Amino acid sequence: MTDGPLIVQSDKTILLEVDHPQATEARHAIAAFAELERAPEHMHSYRLTPLGLWNARAAGLDAEQVLDTLLKYSRFPVPHALLIDVAETMSRYGRLRLEKDPVHGLVLRTDDYPVLEEVIRAKKIEPLLGPRIDPMTVVVHASARGALKQLLLKIGWPAEDLAGYVDGTPHPVALLEEGWKLRPYQQLAVENFWAGGSGVVVLPCGAGKTLVGAAAMAVSGTTTLILVTNTVSARQWKDELLKRTTLTESEIGEYSGAVKEVRPVTIATYQVLTMRRGGLYPHLELLDANNWGLIIYDEVHLLPAPIFRMTADLQARRRLGLTATLVREDGREGEVFSLIGPKRYDAPWKDIEAQGYIAPADCVEVRVDLPRDERMAYAMADDADKYRLCATSETKTAVVERLVKSHQGEQLLVIGQYIDQLDEIAQHLDAPVIKGETSVKERQRLFGEFRKGIIHTLVVSKVANFSIDLPEASVAIQVSGSFGSRQEEAQRLGRLLRPKADGRSARFYTLVARDTLDQDFAAKRQRFLAEQGYAYRILDAKDIATTG
Amino acid sequence: MSSIRILTAELAARSDNALRMLFDARPDLISPAVPDFAALAARACARVSVARALDKLNQPQSQVLEVLHLTTNEDLGLSATASMLKPLMAGSTVSTLDAILRDLHARALLYRDPAQFGQPVKSRAYLPVSSLKDVIGLHPAGLGRRYVELVRTQPSVGVRLLQTLKALQQSGAGVKDASTPMEAALAMHAWVDAPGTLERLLSGAPENTQGMLDRFSAGAMGAIPNAQRIAGPGINDASPVDWLLARGLLVPLNNEHVELPSDVAMVLRGRVIVRDFSVAPPAPQLRATSSSLVSNAALGSIAEVLRLETELLAQVQNTPLATLRAGGVGVREVRRLADALRIDTEMTTLLLELAALASLLVLDVDTSRWRVAQTHWQQLPREQQWLWLATSWLKADRAPALVGQPSSRDGSGGGNASGSAGSGTGSKTAGTGLINALGAEAYRPDAPVLRKQTLAIMLELSDEAAAASTDAGDTGTSPSAASAPGMVPVLDGAAILARFQWRQPRLARRLPRLLPGFLHEAELLGLTGSGSLTVMGSAVASGKPEEALAALHAALPRPLAHVLLQADLTAVAPGYLSPELTAELNLLAAAEGQGPATIFRFSAASLRRALDAGQDAEGILDFLARHSATDIPQPLRYLVEDTAARHGRLRVGTAFSYLQSEDEMMLQELLQIPVLKHLGLVALAPTVLTTKSGAREVAAALRELGMAPAVLESDGGGPVKVPQSGPAVVQPGRASAREPAEEDIAAQLSALRSKPSWVPAGPETGPQLGLETLRQAIRLKKSVNISIVDSNGNHDQQVLVPLSVSGGRVRVYDPGREIERVVSIHRVMDVELAEPGAPTGDRTDALAATEVALADTEARDR
Repeated sequence: MTDGPLIVQSDKTILLEVDHPQATEARHAIAAFAELERAPEHMHSYRLTPLGLWNARAAGLDAEQVLDTLLKYSRFPVPHALLIDVAETMSRYGRLRLEKDPVHGLVLRTDDYPVLEEVIRAKKIEPLLGPRIDPMTVVVHASARGALKQLLLKIGWPAEDLAGYVDGTPHPVALLEEGWKLRPYQQLAVENFWAGGSGVVVLPCGAGKTLVGAAAMAVSGTTTLILVTNTVSARQWKDELLKRTTLTESEIGEYSGAVKEVRPVTIATYQVLTMRRGGLYPHLELLDANNWGLIIYDEVHLLPAPIFRMTADLQARRRLGLTATLVREDGREGEVFSLIGPKRYDAPWKDIEAQGYIAPADCVEVRVDLPRDERMAYAMADDADKYRLCATSETKTAVVERLVKSHQGEQLLVIGQYIDQLDEIAQHLDAPVIKGETSVKERQRLFGEFRKGIIHTLVVSKVANFSIDLPEASVAIQVSGSFGSRQEEAQRLGRLLRPKADGRSARFYTLVARDTLDQDFAAKRQRFLAEQGYAYRILDAKDIATTG
Repeated sequence: MSSIRILTAELAARSDNALRMLFDARPDLISPAVPDFAALAARACARVSVARALDKLNQPQSQVLEVLHLTTNEDLGLSATASMLKPLMAGSTVSTLDAILRDLHARALLYRDPAQFGQPVKSRAYLPVSSLKDVIGLHPAGLGRRYVELVRTQPSVGVRLLQTLKALQQSGAGVKDASTPMEAALAMHAWVDAPGTLERLLSGAPENTQGMLDRFSAGAMGAIPNAQRIAGPGINDASPVDWLLARGLLVPLNNEHVELPSDVAMVLRGRVIVRDFSVAPPAPQLRATSSSLVSNAALGSIAEVLRLETELLAQVQNTPLATLRAGGVGVREVRRLADALRIDTEMTTLLLELAALASLLVLDVDTSRWRVAQTHWQQLPREQQWLWLATSWLKADRAPALVGQPSSRDGSGGGNASGSAGSGTGSKTAGTGLINALGAEAYRPDAPVLRKQTLAIMLELSDEAAAASTDAGDTGTSPSAASAPGMVPVLDGAAILARFQWRQPRLARRLPRLLPGFLHEAELLGLTGSGSLTVMGSAVASGKPEEALAALHAALPRPLAHVLLQADLTAVAPGYLSPELTAELNLLAAAEGQGPATIFRFSAASLRRALDAGQDAEGILDFLARHSATDIPQPLRYLVEDTAARHGRLRVGTAFSYLQSEDEMMLQELLQIPVLKHLGLVALAPTVLTTKSGAREVAAALRELGMAPAVLESDGGGPVKVPQSGPAVVQPGRASAREPAEEDIAAQLSALRSKPSWVPAGPETGPQLGLETLRQAIRLKKSVNISIVDSNGNHDQQVLVPLSVSGGRVRVYDPGREIERVVSIHRVMDVELAEPGAPTGDRTDALAATEVALADTEARDR
């Protein structure tokens, strides 16, 4: 046995010892087929999943290479059953192929007769298929391409999609690399995506996902539809594209509740697409309004279910998903995989931070003791109210004040879940609040002033969780989180991770009421970040005056 | 002359070396020791011993023995030589046959025909020992009985044959006329045996007839519904079975079974008994795999099994396993264990079985629960742990793979069900079906010998493949798959079974059901890896376990004494952790995952468990700091401290010993007694007092007051026992009990040589001789002079006709009183044939003539 950096477990996880001299080499080798699951400070853990292995097959890796890699870097004997399982799983990919037939259009073809027989007998798949052309080939209804892929994946015979993509209307776009350059990892992400056809790129907040999108548009050189979470983020995409690419105002359209423009590059919100009127989705035709050559899904982890259904019909178009965390609280990672595509690029946050592309962050959990009366109220409250009671404790307001004082002069965000609490805090701090009812115009004004440094403190609700670019924010105080949502915690930290002009590190405080539900939820939320290598320091509220 | 007597003389005349070889081949002959040569010969002829000896014969040896059995007749004094056997065995030569005959003779399965003494070595004539017939069974070499034999033993066959013969004659077949069943049998024989008859017949047979006949080549009997249907040539013979029945080529035995007479089978086989005689074993085509993969698989499996076994013992230590009323451990218990170990139930069952057959788990007869035995296994280095498991498995008379399969009791229940509809439902409820883990039904006394042989065959096949590869390398011929450097052959079940069937065909019949389990278990134990024999496997197979130990010692990494603590509240053990550390971490955190590295996740609940067990935050942090390769992450430190701070429900004090009683009044009294003041009694609860003195001192003081306190063990488990109570289970030894040692053989030889060569009717010889005579008389339908002692000890000499012997009793016909009765064998003092003598003459004629004579006698008797 070698003395390698990997430990291959029989439960199909792979542990990578980060401090091992061969760690980097081994990480690159296994990243192709194993999915990073956790990345705490010493031992990263990867998981071998059928999805990951099929993905590797799609990228041209064969089982032998995978087994060789495992055996080469493994410190201990690799469980034999796992080796067999890997080889078997990988051999399932590509037995069925979706191809373009010059006569019959989209067909499902195989070299393995029994597999096709098994598949066409599956109850849910049968209606998606047309007539059998020959023993090895069956016609597929063109509209069923996505649904078929989804179902085949589910029964364990993933199809290799060789049917290709529509070219889309050409529309040349180039990057304006003036005073900046595409970072190596962004370059790699775009290359991986393009080679794979469709898929998801996972990058930390602040690592420049918009640029990956822009670069993908440049490679594609076609009309592009960009789907984003909200209007503010749509405006930011537009600004960024104007700044970084050769696109001009007249080429970029916004399709939202307020404006409905369809231009060669159109930015639409999820909300407008999924709006229903009389049981219909009136804005869905946008998807067919243009011969899009590329569709970009921003924050793919938030993709609402109707979009999934629409995406199933869009399998002939190239799709790029962008996200910071592929953790979906609803567990629909499989649908992202089969409909948008496999993960094409993923890097641990700490790696990007080490390269200096995102600001280092210091996470601090501040523990607050509830005063006696609040403790009693908490103890006697209904279960449904308990979290709100402890999360909105009055003592937190005082702590926030102290923290804001200690960070005087820095750009500071106070983030919370409960509007009452935020209003109260805003009053104490004499700072503006951005919440759901704040108009887009007002939001933009406030964000703009914050960016320019006119106002130093903003109190924001969860509307600011995503896609709001606030590069100068360096301190965030989370007074209450949305229960145990891991991805939200990551997003909130993400607000701070844009590299600072002066290279300062960011500070993320989360206020937690000791010995209550608040603490349990906080622990759950922090798990993702802890796994990404962000260690939380714990601080007692009493000690705050002396620190900072 | 009796075969035992002849064999006695032969054995006595053998050299010491020849006897040693015999004892080596049949160790049961001198275990326990025999007093004299007569006893030795008697034992060599006993059914059990012959059956054991036959189990050890390889395919050519068995074939020769069966052919010899078919062509000789002890009663008629018909012996056979190698050259007589040769034409009956295609592919044989006289010299190979003679060599095999001499070997069988050396094993005392044959004796030389005394009438043919003085022949040159090459043409020695042999006869098989008489019990061979019983051991081989009805169908030697897969041949059925002859027509005459069938007619003689089954009167209904005779009637049927007569009818068939008539029908055949009517249809114009050239069959001789017959008036008695025996004549019909002889006519059928003559007809079938005539050159060309069968070929001509078969050319007009329906399709698939040849295929049907081929199915009888391994066993002469077949099950056919409505076997006694009437079919005649030309009418009603469209199907192969009808066609064969109509021509008497298949003979119905009853309404369900038919037999292919050997007269027919012999012609079909081209007038040879064995068609493919070969002294070389079949050479299998084996796939190859790389040796690095093999050792990877084996070492991985060994580490995993040892880790899981340790974890399993820890689980059972906490909760012993309850047994079912029917025996064994129920599915629910196994599932609970499987959940705790995070593996599936099949694997759990195997691990349980493995632990039990290695005596790591024992059944506590008082509680009827399986608990962990007191062994030092857990303290052993891992390679020693492995050897313990591997050797126990090799010797175990259980087949763990049978667990979960239908129990045999259920199978017999099914048989009854077909007899009567009523019992069918009964058996369904009675036999719940499957064999339970650790249940008695998985007992297989033949498992050790089968395992040993399987391993030996695997070694043999591997060695052959290796030799073939060096040959190929030397001669430069195209190398086979397994001969590339670094490649080793994959021993698949089919190849092993084929070789086993060649090496020990009789024993191999029991193998197919067990072999898959053996191979799986060998894989688990790392004796094989990826289907190939490993270094450890071949060392164990060749009886050199120390080599396996050394190889394993070099390959297994040393235990680690540190873990990596991480901010996500986990501790990762990057490899095998020393057992003490594992135990401690298991207390502090919950183990996750499965594999060489263990991940321990700390949580408030897990820490509370440790605090409950009496640890404190400082101690825990100190322990973690000592065993962590890195600093303790702050969140973990906070978790430990916070949890400990909240953990205040227990109060801890110091007491040297305690008194406990259900009698509250008595304890109150004790508190008042002045002479006990110095013990420092304090009442903690109405039924518990603590003291500042040691338990023995307190007990002594109480005894002086006339009380009878029971002193409990320090952990409160039960009364203090003598240290090391009960013998600790020791590692099973390596020598097999059944193999006699060299000194035993020497002692046996000198004992044998010290006695005269023939002692008539010794305690062991007498009954065997008597039985032999009785069986001969039954075969020949002759009467015997029998000396019987009655319950008062009076001897009585009678002339009786024995009818059958079984179960220690002989059924006899008393011609004087014209009644049948049963005599216990142990009352029989002496037996001899009333009218000895046998016809002589030409072999086949004589055989046939005897059958006819026997049949006539039988007809007259009736």
